[in-house]
Amino acid sequence: MNGRVSRRAFVRAGSAAAAAALAPRFAFSIVRPAQDRPIRFGLVGCGGRGTGAAEDCLKSAPNVEVVALADVFPDRLEGCRAQLAGLSHPGFKVAEGRCFTGFDAYRRLLEGDLDLVLLATPPGFRPIHFEAAVEAGRHVFMEKPVAVDPAGVRRVLAAGEKAKAKGLAVVAGTQRRHQKCYVETIRRIHEGAIGRIVAARCFWNQGGLWRHDRKEGESDVEWQMRNWLYFTWLSGDHIVEQHVHNLDVINWALRAHPVSAVAVGGRQVRTEPVYGHIYDHFCVDYEYPDGVHATSMCRQQPGTDGRIGEAVVGTEGQADPAEWIEGKSPWRWKEEPDSPYVQEHADLIASVRSGAPLNEARAVAESTLTAILGREAAYTGKKIAWDEILASGLDLSPAAYEFGPLPVAGVPIPGKSA
Amino acid sequence: MSRDSKGPEPIRAGLVGCGRRGTGAAENFLMAAPGLRLVALADAFPDRLAECRTYLAGLKHEGYAVEEERCFAGYDAYRRLLDCGVDLVLLCAPPGFRPLHFAAAVTAGKHVFFEKPVAVDPAGVRKILAAGEEAGRKGLGVVAGTLYRHHRKFRETIRRVHEGAIGKVLSARAWYNTGALWRYDRKPGERELDYQVRNWPYFDWLSGDILVEQHVHTLDVVAWTLRAKPARAIGTGGRQARTGPEHGNVYDHFAVDYAFEGGVHCLSMNRQIAGAFGEVGAWFYGSEGVASPYAGTIAGANPWTFQGEAPDAYVQEQTDLIESIRSGSPLNETKQIAESTLLAILGREAAYTGKALTWDEILASSLDLTPSGFDWANPGIAYEPPVRVVPMPGRPRA
Repeated sequence: MNGRVSRRAFVRAGSAAAAAALAPRFAFSIVRPAQDRPIRFGLVGCGGRGTGAAEDCLKSAPNVEVVALADVFPDRLEGCRAQLAGLSHPGFKVAEGRCFTGFDAYRRLLEGDLDLVLLATPPGFRPIHFEAAVEAGRHVFMEKPVAVDPAGVRRVLAAGEKAKAKGLAVVAGTQRRHQKCYVETIRRIHEGAIGRIVAARCFWNQGGLWRHDRKEGESDVEWQMRNWLYFTWLSGDHIVEQHVHNLDVINWALRAHPVSAVAVGGRQVRTEPVYGHIYDHFCVDYEYPDGVHATSMCRQQPGTDGRIGEAVVGTEGQADPAEWIEGKSPWRWKEEPDSPYVQEHADLIASVRSGAPLNEARAVAESTLTAILGREAAYTGKKIAWDEILASGLDLSPAAYEFGPLPVAGVPIPGKSA
Repeated sequence: MSRDSKGPEPIRAGLVGCGRRGTGAAENFLMAAPGLRLVALADAFPDRLAECRTYLAGLKHEGYAVEEERCFAGYDAYRRLLDCGVDLVLLCAPPGFRPLHFAAAVTAGKHVFFEKPVAVDPAGVRKILAAGEEAGRKGLGVVAGTLYRHHRKFRETIRRVHEGAIGKVLSARAWYNTGALWRYDRKPGERELDYQVRNWPYFDWLSGDILVEQHVHTLDVVAWTLRAKPARAIGTGGRQARTGPEHGNVYDHFAVDYAFEGGVHCLSMNRQIAGAFGEVGAWFYGSEGVASPYAGTIAGANPWTFQGEAPDAYVQEQTDLIESIRSGSPLNETKQIAESTLLAILGREAAYTGKALTWDEILASSLDLTPSGFDWANPGIAYEPPVRVVPMPGRPRA
């Protein structure tokens, strides 16, 4: 397996992002009348990240309006609506008739008049929502990861191609691609500042995350959805849900996706049933084209030492892709780290208004599959090839999307899990 | 080795620890050179001693000369063996006993072959280092069971790396991924201490866990090749498949990111899980190529593949020890095996605690896994070790 196809895709996505990032923020407002027309967006998934994404999008460019909200849960929708209304932003234009709840809320939102959707539900729903958004002809910002299983990744890849054919913009929440310190460092890596890359490392080691206590009478599905981090069919496990950020940086820096993976992992500390069935640690040895290996380590264990970041080792130097290069071409990002959360929306909207829409679907789908590859290598204990995982029949979606009973799947045991 | 017509002066050896590896080491010793005598056996358990004795007698080797009065059983058997007139001892008891046995052997003025690892905790490593210095002053030979140091394929590959065949070494990987190991069911009426000692791989205080007991081989190859001081380790691990009490308190998987001075990192991965993918090896990535000592290959600017025969390294390590003693310049591998053992302990503790640990911290650490009240030399008939608790990252050690 070689990474050539994706390599081209990454170069394109990377350089487009770089160009957008380097352009003065409001240059288009002077020269391009297209921006006089408002961009109206709807939010699907009104949790913490979704609400934040909506706020970031409103701030990212002039003449952007939020016009519709959708969430499975009315309480989450109301919380989000109140928070966005409280911003007193002129772009807040959510009418009562455009607030939708329930499992089909996304569909009703897409039927309305809007240009862009922000997809920020738990990742298990992303392939369905992304497909529907592209079908409806909407530009898309979608949070990472974009799937939890290979079946979902393939749907996202196919919908991404369709978006391209329709001229729709697709930007993903792998926001480091829109962060100048990363863009500038990785551009230099690609230009040869550290020579030929021989190895890479990435980490997301941290303590615990939030959870909600189960309420009286709450169905299995509702409980799991409100605690979606801890259920693989919803989050993909934390290597997919969280560490995908760092794996995306490695794919970007190496301009390839892995060839295969061998991994260990387990559920050592966070073993109570309230934490579902996901692992609390993983370590993956990824092999990339030309025999380059990348170490990936991630954990969510309270009281342990944290480390979040990446390193790339070349024949003529080393780099921290977020900050510096040492070796034959030393360099350091000297400004304050910039916030990419607004920038990713600015880049999306600028690309729409300029008529050259970004399409990051393939890059984020491949980064998502990279994480799924590592997860499955750890769950099964097997060495797994990229082609195997890409073609895998693994599909974690439930029989039906409705509130009701759903037993918690067992914790995977390496050597026993298929 | 030069030999006159009478042959070399015989070297009389005793074996401490008559399990599988000890029995194998005794057999390897007999084959290692002319003029070697195996004269004594010691083990905590009479049945293991008897099995070993039967096996070795069955070899019908001229050097086999174990008499009944030089067969010692019990936890203090090593001491009686050291007093019975041997020149050299093979120390093959579970690793937790090694610091005690090694220090006693050096005090008694014996040459030593000792199996890896040589300790299970920093306290034990420091004891080994001190005894190793004393062995040096006394002119004793000390060779460790990290056999790849005596394996021609490894030696030739690593010599080429040191001569620059892959340019500057920039990164490394070390795997010891295997299936399950042996274990024994509890015998009716067996006391807890004996049960744990017979099933020593599964108890941290006896084996040091799989990363120390097994993967020390691979980490030793890394230390040998890199020739750099370890700086820091970040590790993770747990027990995910092998979770029952019959598997004591050790983990079944570890992964460690080791950083060495100079900036080279090594990913260490180690697993003992039945049915999972297995591969053992170490790989070194340089500015001009990749070296694999286990495969005996170098790829890149200076491609090379090991050709020819490599003598059995289990025998060769003993041969090298005997020849060094007979030549009057005894090998002393104590420091290198103690440091490789500590490198493994560093990774284990990084995983057990979830903390980023430095080499200097672990070298100075007071960690001592000896169960409370346990006397390694003479535990006493009534001693019962406490239940060993599985370490939990981020939580205080129980």
